[in-house]
Amino acid sequence: MCKAPISANSTTSSNYAKKENLHKALRIEKLERTIVTQPTRQWSAEKLLLVVSVVAIVAGAAVGTSVGYAVHYSAPTTRAFYLFNSSLPFDEHTWGIPHDTFAPDRITVNKGDKVVIYYRNIEDTTEPHTFSMDTPYTFDAVVHAGQNETFPVATSVKGASDVVVQVNQTATITFTAHWAGVFRYYCAYHQPTMTGYLAVLG
Amino acid sequence: MQMPKGSAMFRWSAVVLLFITGLLDVYYGNFYAGFYENLWYAMGTIYIFTAAVIAANFEPRFAQPAVFGYAIFLFVLWATTAFATGVGLDTIAYLDKAIEALLVVNMALLIRSSRSPSLLR
Repeated sequence: MCKAPISANSTTSSNYAKKENLHKALRIEKLERTIVTQPTRQWSAEKLLLVVSVVAIVAGAAVGTSVGYAVHYSAPTTRAFYLFNSSLPFDEHTWGIPHDTFAPDRITVNKGDKVVIYYRNIEDTTEPHTFSMDTPYTFDAVVHAGQNETFPVATSVKGASDVVVQVNQTATITFTAHWAGVFRYYCAYHQPTMTGYLAVLG
Repeated sequence: MQMPKGSAMFRWSAVVLLFITGLLDVYYGNFYAGFYENLWYAMGTIYIFTAAVIAANFEPRFAQPAVFGYAIFLFVLWATTAFATGVGLDTIAYLDKAIEALLVVNMALLIRSSRSPSLLR
């Protein structure tokens, strides 16, 4: 029995089917590779960083401007005060309390202000005074051996809560009003009368 | 998913920077009483929380860009508020914001390395 001859037509269609299958397999493989390497559609790191940065900058600027407007802080500034010792006309031995006071005995600043106090001991007796402050405040002070800041420096302290100023000396006291509230400044030698109050608004 | 060495290094440096910034913010909020400073207190607490989130590598695709955006947001918020009001301009704030700037760069590098295509091959 002789085999039926394979026609040219059937060979061509078989080849064509094989090619089709091969292409299909390649397409599937390509698709699978795409699925493996790109599980989800996502932004590149650069694009993500750029978008997040822009959104954050715009939001930060908007909220910052609003907070600034709502809080209405006045910009901190340097405020200078001249402070002297003073005395009331009574006999301290009779009344049992010192006649010494501060002039002025109230200092008002805004929170964040830099405060400079020029403190002069103008006693007519050889009586020293201190400038002392309650916690949390501390200050830097330079004491000049004379009636103003042109005289040589006698002593200086940093981060102190207490400085002694002798007669005819001038102390330049500086600190920043970080804490809002009312705080006492006083002479440690003449309590309770020689007391003043620092009012920090904020 | 195993992270490359560089990515792990950026992640842990981010955790350290987030924690330091958080502590500084809380310190600032506690140290200076007042409404505006209390915002720092809240910001610091959020930073410490995000340090824990980044350390745990929880949802990094969302958490890392969020922390990056949060750091930029706070930096710009501080700069704008300081410009408008003059507050928050002191050594602690400068130190805090310098570390925050480092954190932004660190987070950008972390995001880049985490999203590197080499991870997916």
